[in-house]
Amino acid sequence: MIPARKPPMATSGIGPWFRQNMFNNIGNSIISILAVAFVLLSMFNLFTWVFTEGHWEVVWKNMRLFGVYTYPTDLLWRPLLAAAMTMGLVGLSAGLAQHDEDGGEIMRGVFWWFFALVAFLAVLGLIFWESVRFWWLIVAIVNIGGYYLGKAVPQLSRRLIWIWAIGIIAVFVVIAGVLPADSNPESAMRFVKTKNWGGFMLTLIISAFGIIVSFPLGIALALGRKSKLPVLKYFSIGFIEIVRGAPLIAWLFIASVFVPLLLDQSPDKVPGLYRVLAAVTLFSAAYMAENVRGGLAAVPNGQTEAAQALGLSAWQNTRMIVLPQALRAVIPAIVGQSIGLFKDTSLVFVVGLFDIFNVHKIVATQPEVLLIPGGIRLELSLLLVAVYWYFSFRMSIASRQLEKQLGVGER
Amino acid sequence: MSAKSTNSQVVVEKIPFYRNVKIIGALAQIAFVVVFLLIVAFMVTNVLSALRKANIPADFSFLGRRAGIPISESPIRYNSQTDTYARAFFVGVLNTLKVSLVGVVLASILGVIIGVMRLSSNWILKQIATVYVEIVRNTPLAVQIIFWSLAVLLTIPPRSLHPIKLLGGGLYSNLGLALPWLFPSYRFAAWLPWLIAALVLGIVVYGYRRRQIIKSELPGNPWPLAILAFVLASAISYFIVAGGSQVPEKLLTTINDKSGVVQSFYDANDNGSKDSDEKFLAHAKVDISLKEGRMTAFTQSLTESKKLIYSEFRFPPILPSEYSKATVSFIDEEAANAEGLKIHFYDEPNRGVVYKDLNSNGKFDRGEEVFDKDGKTTGYSAKLALDIEDFHRQVVTDRDGNARVPRFKHITDDTKKAVESGPSSLFGGPAATTNADIKELQFTVNPEKTGPLVLSKPSIPISQYSGGMSFSASYLGLLLALVIYTASFISELVRAGIMAVPKGQTEASKAVGLNGLQTFNLIVFPQALRIIMPPMISQFLNLTKNSSLGVLAGFAEIVVIANIIGNQTGANVPTNILIIGSYLTISFAFSIIMNIVNAKMAIVER
Repeated sequence: MIPARKPPMATSGIGPWFRQNMFNNIGNSIISILAVAFVLLSMFNLFTWVFTEGHWEVVWKNMRLFGVYTYPTDLLWRPLLAAAMTMGLVGLSAGLAQHDEDGGEIMRGVFWWFFALVAFLAVLGLIFWESVRFWWLIVAIVNIGGYYLGKAVPQLSRRLIWIWAIGIIAVFVVIAGVLPADSNPESAMRFVKTKNWGGFMLTLIISAFGIIVSFPLGIALALGRKSKLPVLKYFSIGFIEIVRGAPLIAWLFIASVFVPLLLDQSPDKVPGLYRVLAAVTLFSAAYMAENVRGGLAAVPNGQTEAAQALGLSAWQNTRMIVLPQALRAVIPAIVGQSIGLFKDTSLVFVVGLFDIFNVHKIVATQPEVLLIPGGIRLELSLLLVAVYWYFSFRMSIASRQLEKQLGVGER
Repeated sequence: MSAKSTNSQVVVEKIPFYRNVKIIGALAQIAFVVVFLLIVAFMVTNVLSALRKANIPADFSFLGRRAGIPISESPIRYNSQTDTYARAFFVGVLNTLKVSLVGVVLASILGVIIGVMRLSSNWILKQIATVYVEIVRNTPLAVQIIFWSLAVLLTIPPRSLHPIKLLGGGLYSNLGLALPWLFPSYRFAAWLPWLIAALVLGIVVYGYRRRQIIKSELPGNPWPLAILAFVLASAISYFIVAGGSQVPEKLLTTINDKSGVVQSFYDANDNGSKDSDEKFLAHAKVDISLKEGRMTAFTQSLTESKKLIYSEFRFPPILPSEYSKATVSFIDEEAANAEGLKIHFYDEPNRGVVYKDLNSNGKFDRGEEVFDKDGKTTGYSAKLALDIEDFHRQVVTDRDGNARVPRFKHITDDTKKAVESGPSSLFGGPAATTNADIKELQFTVNPEKTGPLVLSKPSIPISQYSGGMSFSASYLGLLLALVIYTASFISELVRAGIMAVPKGQTEASKAVGLNGLQTFNLIVFPQALRIIMPPMISQFLNLTKNSSLGVLAGFAEIVVIANIIGNQTGANVPTNILIIGSYLTISFAFSIIMNIVNAKMAIVER
């Protein structure tokens, strides 16, 4: 008779999981123990520092600077109204996407991620921030309201692009104001000068403007680069390669020097924001063009040939056949580029704008902060890391999900 | 065939000119050129008129003028008093290249490690790598530079008089990192022909071995023998040159006993002293000795690594091997005794704390540091003296022919006694100056015999590094941020590249009997490298371009120096053109490298 063999080792459960994944041989076991010790030690140090030593009260006191910089205090409801409209549009789009077969799940994830932040801020607002007490709650309600509206009324999806267009203009009007400041200084809708815009609001404005405006420019440059007309082609190539050849910070310096000169104005007449927007948009357009070019190359030649066989003109072929397919393929790349631009807006300090990154310098050099031994650069940089990360991380996940769904890179 | 062409001929003739694609294209291009030129002309006239109005210089003539910009670190000799703006800008370019090249190497190494970690079978390693990548990639580089340079490197490390001593003689403090370094001395020129000969020998051996291996049709590698030949030949010639060398008679050294600056120079006219037309000599080894001398220091309360330290004194660090006897005492011994002050050493005789033995257990306990009477920590200090006997140190002068030793003072009976009695001279107030401080010290400085290369070890005589190769804290902060940021992108490339190697390759290599390491080194990684290299080079370019954020760390690279020049001269337009020009040149160089690599990496198809 064959003697009974030992039962095979268990492969499920906690013990076997550890054995397989962390302690499968001596070398790995040593590495695992060291790594666990490293993680525990750094976690312990970080948390002790964050909860016992960090001077967070300074950060907390300056939340308004981080949010909107020196935007007039009596008008704080306006950026928040703009935030409500934006978040409403985001919610609406996410809700409408639930009717699609493919995009729904990704948009849902993004929506809840950002709703969590808004809801958190709503709670903070209710408890601590007197000046904007109910506004954050309104933002949260509009956000989730938009989501369920979109879920309930799928017909809106046909008009979504127009709703967005109107919404963006409205957001701009609300933030900038409509009435000249000298007509009535107390007016609720008076102009707010761009030098008072700042904080995270400005970060979002610059990234949104840059990515939206650079989109058509980038498509034009990409088509120009593929064009058979030599002038267009070499102009596009020259523009793209020169812009991509130097770092954004150099272009920002150039914009701050050249834009007033180009318009033959004295430098103080051209607000820094306009110079930044010009530089950021053109810079982003060059990168956008390269992304779109990748998409154009991914559209098989047969598509163009089939369109020609059907009698479509070159323009119709580009607009109705090639571009829709090309752009669809480059959505992940464009999301990636948006993240990059969002991170790069931190460079506008060179023009003297006070986005959230540059605000940290003001806070770090406040007189009472200078008395704190060692300063509070660590606290401030951790805050910035948290803010930028919260937005970029979720978008980069979405970009990867889109990539997977579109099957890019799987052919 | 011919029928077809006549057909198309007919079709072309039927198209009216306004629908002819070629004509439309040509017209569109002409229109584009016209509009483009109009816009350019409009802009140029605007710029020119604005420049005239604001009286801004628009040419590059300023480059020849004297700069007067102090640049704290420069890979080449730079003198802000005599050198031109052109040279200052060149220093910026070199600084950019210095941080980029080192950054590229370190980022590749870290990137490969992280990339491999992300594919590791060890769960916890994989998680650490993933968290690293997800945090670093999703945070702006600007924030990371602030984090590393201002939040970590500038606040955490100890002050310059209390450096961390690294293995092998390196020092680390808030001045930055200083490493022992080999420099070519004045004997190097004598060795150079030998070195070239050794190189030629290496090449000859390589060629010979190569031919031999090809002939023998056996596997082999010509490199080891060639390298061995080169190393042996250069080492032997080094010792020949070093052994025959004498200290040149015209090499002289001087010391300024007030500032502690040692200088080495060629005494061209044999008058025994340094004249203005005589050249300093870089990297000469100098032996310095001093019979007896004194250094003074105040105790102070300071913040270090975010901790408050009370009543500590620090002398410029001196090693035990450098003296025969060193004693630390209160300058005003009587007053100190009256107050019951004692000295506790952390690092005798360089560093310690002044305390009162409150619980009279005979030793220092925390809390016994001497505080001010009203509990504040400012303005309370005791003056201490470090008396040293038979001090001697070997220093290597830097590329400007300078080296520094601690600032010693002359000891006389005056200084040995109390300067003035009473607590006012012991605590606070300016240091009492006596005639003794001004008298000359009896230093002897002698140039030492050196080989073609001379090892220079860093020290901190007076609030800056002397000797060795030093890297400033701003350079380190920028480098660290760039490396960590870029490595997160490189690691993703490495991961994707390794994952793209078909599994069959691994299986086949296992079947052939290679072990895990061999499989990775010989089969998987070389194939992955083909996929990784092209995007990796564009990451290298990104790193180089991102070094323009050096302004945040205070590192003097292209953009920083160009902007200083622009602000000084008002020539902002030309300096910005210089910035763009330099980066475009660098990008162009990278794209040439990229093309070469792509050609090399391309799979040769049959």
